[in-house]
Amino acid sequence: MAKARLVGDRTNKVMVQAMERRSTDVRGRVFQISLLVTLLVSLFILAVLIVDVVMDGWGILTGRPGGFLGGTMRSLSDDPKLGVHQALVGTFWIAVFVAVLAFPIGIGAAIWLEEYAPKNRFTRFIELNIRNLAGVPSIVYGLLGLFLFVNHLEGVTGGKSIASAGITLAILVLPIVVITAQEAIRAVPQGLKEGAYGVGATKWTMIRSQVLPYAAPGILTGTLLSMSRGIGEAAPLLLVGAVSGRLGRDSGFFDFGDINADAFMAMPVIIVEWVQNSGRDPGFAEAAAAAIVVLLVFVILMNATAIFLRNHFENKRG
Amino acid sequence: MRLQKLLVLIIGLITTFALVAAACGNDDDDGAAAPSTSEQQSSGSDAQPAPAGTVSGSVTISGSSTVEPISVRVAELFEDVQPDVAVTVDGPGTGDGFKLFCAGETDISDASRQIKDSEAEDCAESGVEWVELRVGIDGIAVMTGESNPVECVTFNDIYGLVGPESTGFGSWSDAGSLGLATSDLPDADLDIYGPGEESGTFDSFIEIVLEDIADERGQDATTRPDYNANADDNVIIQGIQSSDTSFGWVGFAFAANASGVKLLDVDGGDGCVGANANTIASGEYPVSRSLYIYVNKAKAEASPAVSAYVDFYMSDEGLGTAVADVGYVNLTDEAKGATRANWAGR
Amino acid sequence: MSDTRVDPAGGFSIESLKANPRQARRERLIRDSLGATALVSVFISALIIWSLFSEAWTFIFEVDWGSVWDIGWFPRRGIYDIKTLIVASLIVTGIAMIVAGPLGLGAAIYLSEYARPGVRRTLKPVLEILAGIPSVVLGFFALKWIAPNLVETLFGGPAAGSLLAAGIGVGVLVVPLVASISEDAMKAVPMALREASSGLGARKVMTTMRVVLPAAVSGLMAAFIVAISRALGETMIVFMAGGAAQTAVYTHSALDGSLTMTAGMTSLARGTDNVVGEGLTFQSLFFVGLVLFALTFALNLIADRFVHRVREQY
Repeated sequence: MAKARLVGDRTNKVMVQAMERRSTDVRGRVFQISLLVTLLVSLFILAVLIVDVVMDGWGILTGRPGGFLGGTMRSLSDDPKLGVHQALVGTFWIAVFVAVLAFPIGIGAAIWLEEYAPKNRFTRFIELNIRNLAGVPSIVYGLLGLFLFVNHLEGVTGGKSIASAGITLAILVLPIVVITAQEAIRAVPQGLKEGAYGVGATKWTMIRSQVLPYAAPGILTGTLLSMSRGIGEAAPLLLVGAVSGRLGRDSGFFDFGDINADAFMAMPVIIVEWVQNSGRDPGFAEAAAAAIVVLLVFVILMNATAIFLRNHFENKRG
Repeated sequence: MRLQKLLVLIIGLITTFALVAAACGNDDDDGAAAPSTSEQQSSGSDAQPAPAGTVSGSVTISGSSTVEPISVRVAELFEDVQPDVAVTVDGPGTGDGFKLFCAGETDISDASRQIKDSEAEDCAESGVEWVELRVGIDGIAVMTGESNPVECVTFNDIYGLVGPESTGFGSWSDAGSLGLATSDLPDADLDIYGPGEESGTFDSFIEIVLEDIADERGQDATTRPDYNANADDNVIIQGIQSSDTSFGWVGFAFAANASGVKLLDVDGGDGCVGANANTIASGEYPVSRSLYIYVNKAKAEASPAVSAYVDFYMSDEGLGTAVADVGYVNLTDEAKGATRANWAGR
Repeated sequence: MSDTRVDPAGGFSIESLKANPRQARRERLIRDSLGATALVSVFISALIIWSLFSEAWTFIFEVDWGSVWDIGWFPRRGIYDIKTLIVASLIVTGIAMIVAGPLGLGAAIYLSEYARPGVRRTLKPVLEILAGIPSVVLGFFALKWIAPNLVETLFGGPAAGSLLAAGIGVGVLVVPLVASISEDAMKAVPMALREASSGLGARKVMTTMRVVLPAAVSGLMAAFIVAISRALGETMIVFMAGGAAQTAVYTHSALDGSLTMTAGMTSLARGTDNVVGEGLTFQSLFFVGLVLFALTFALNLIADRFVHRVREQY
């Protein structure tokens, strides 16, 4: 049975040639490789950064890890009592403020926007407003904190206190909490909600029993990301008055009385402080690197957990 | 379940606010770091007979930002042996420090000059008696590039090079154009490197060299703004090295170990004197000044914490180690003896 | 149960479908308190604007405008040359975009068009980790590694920090931002467009460059604008690695040290004690803050427009 020819001889020859030729798409290869290179450069930078910091801080971290975590701010870098304890306490309290203020308010706002808000101009305004807040530079939040919490509300916050810093950072991460929680809630399948209504649930019962459990991993991812942002932020803290120089007091983690005591320290700020000190005393660069490693351990752990959680649930739900 | 978690969070929020509110109610009397402004009450508790050698209480220090690092370093070393004493150190400036000191609000005042008559009167009025203790010397090295022919500069020269009226000057010889009697300076490029405005060395330099001339000429006591300011002393030294006809200044302790720069002699009216530890300690080198602490006698009497702190300050760890640790020049042994005698004979 | 909605005699009326009033009250209470949390954000915006304006106002009305156009930024002696800060900010932002533009876009194209799913699953999280690195860490890295190893050896600049070192650092910071928004934009391009292009015989390069990128251009614009806004507002890297302390003489050379708007504010605000009461120094902080806020706000609004255009198209 002779095959019917679709095209003429000439065309047939060209097509056969085109299909049989081992195609070497040089431009395509070069393009792909250069793309890969750009990506690898970014990863290489990350690797250099981590290796550089860990190498600089290695001496302190392996030499006297306990002393470094339990020590305080000192004038000289070779002082055996030099350490980050005050900064850890400050950062711990900032994290508490973020968790207690930003999480409930942010998640509440996200629930309202996704489930209750009427589709009108005002709702769109609120959403635009939240997106804009997320893009406001962190130092502007520092100005807000300086103006409002340090100067105008000194009677409540104690001025340049951990309370002022904590509230400022809670405000700073609030829009991130709202936006990530909104995305998580938006992903809840309509069918789940309708099922709940079908068995007579009220709106809140439906949200509580269907929406929140389904969105929980997504919301948790968002809160972890915003927490890691919060504990790594330095600029607003410099404005609301983290001390430079000496902090005489070394409170324990649960000294509630010191929350609004004047002056405090936090992990990102102690790094800045020590980097600046390294101009007159080069040993402080190592202390700063060691403090960075301590901070990075927390931040990367939180981020990695968040990313893992998100990917895990994304895959599970297809 | 979820609702309960949310409720827990909200309750936590409210509790925290309550705690914050409660804590600020008694702000002044909790927290070891709170300044002991209520002198009689706090010294009442301090006066408990201390068991063998250990004392507790608090010491409040304020004053010069130049002296602050010494008092801080002494406090660090002191707290290692007396962990129950909380020392707070502030550095708003010598004048502000004396205001607080004479109002009885601080136990010790750091000062980069001696007390003025007007300040002493304030103290006398409020019945604050004090003892003056010289603790160290702040010397500032004035430098240029290694191959600059200039060897010695006068205060007038320095004013002409970096004073407030020299803004825009690009050559050493411009210094003569202000009508001041200056040395014969070369017509060479002038690149200036120095510490920034927040630095204690910046203030010291102005107060020692520029202030008197600026006052006479009705100018603000400051430097010209257009020079390379940096907080990092290494960067200042590198800048000075980078040009043959640079000009700059940093604390003496830092400059002493630097290579590739030339420390200029300075003529403060009594001829050119080179900077070294001896001429600074003896006060011959003009760009130097003594640093003091002023101790409130009554408070030292009442509070074992204050007297123990000053005792420690007077020891070799204080006048010797701490002063050198933070980059100042030690007093001569004789002068140390005089200071200790002052303290002992209060 | 004292619930009387259902008639004990077995009657079932429209009344029984009504929510019980206590439950309805609870529902309303929950709705209103959630609504209140959403209003917090509006309240915060108002507070930010109030705090910026109330201090900046004093500055704008009382400052001698000659001192706002002078030789440099010396806020403690009454010389508030804003152009020094703005020019430095633009230099840093420009350098950051030169670094982050190609790196971020390249990474995004690779992840979206070329990477096999397995590769993507491993590479993307690493990029996200880079996104989470605090800016103080990059500031340290810019000052202690980029400045001596790149700026000094490659460009002959100072080893102790410069606008160039800070700009490269900020660039590294915004790479993940550019990459993630661009990748989202390219992923949003419908598969049908790619298939049609391949079906016409276009190679992958051609499809990517001539079909996917043009289709995603709104999203790519948004990515760049958001990155510019982020770079303008970045503080710690420039403060630590910008090579200036507290004051800066006007410069337009990237190899000099200078202060950006953010770094100027930070150096001024450290030790705010000394700032209060010295003329307009304290107010100048808020004036610069207001300028920065206005700039980033405008950029964010524009970026928002672009993002919406993407959503509407597909």
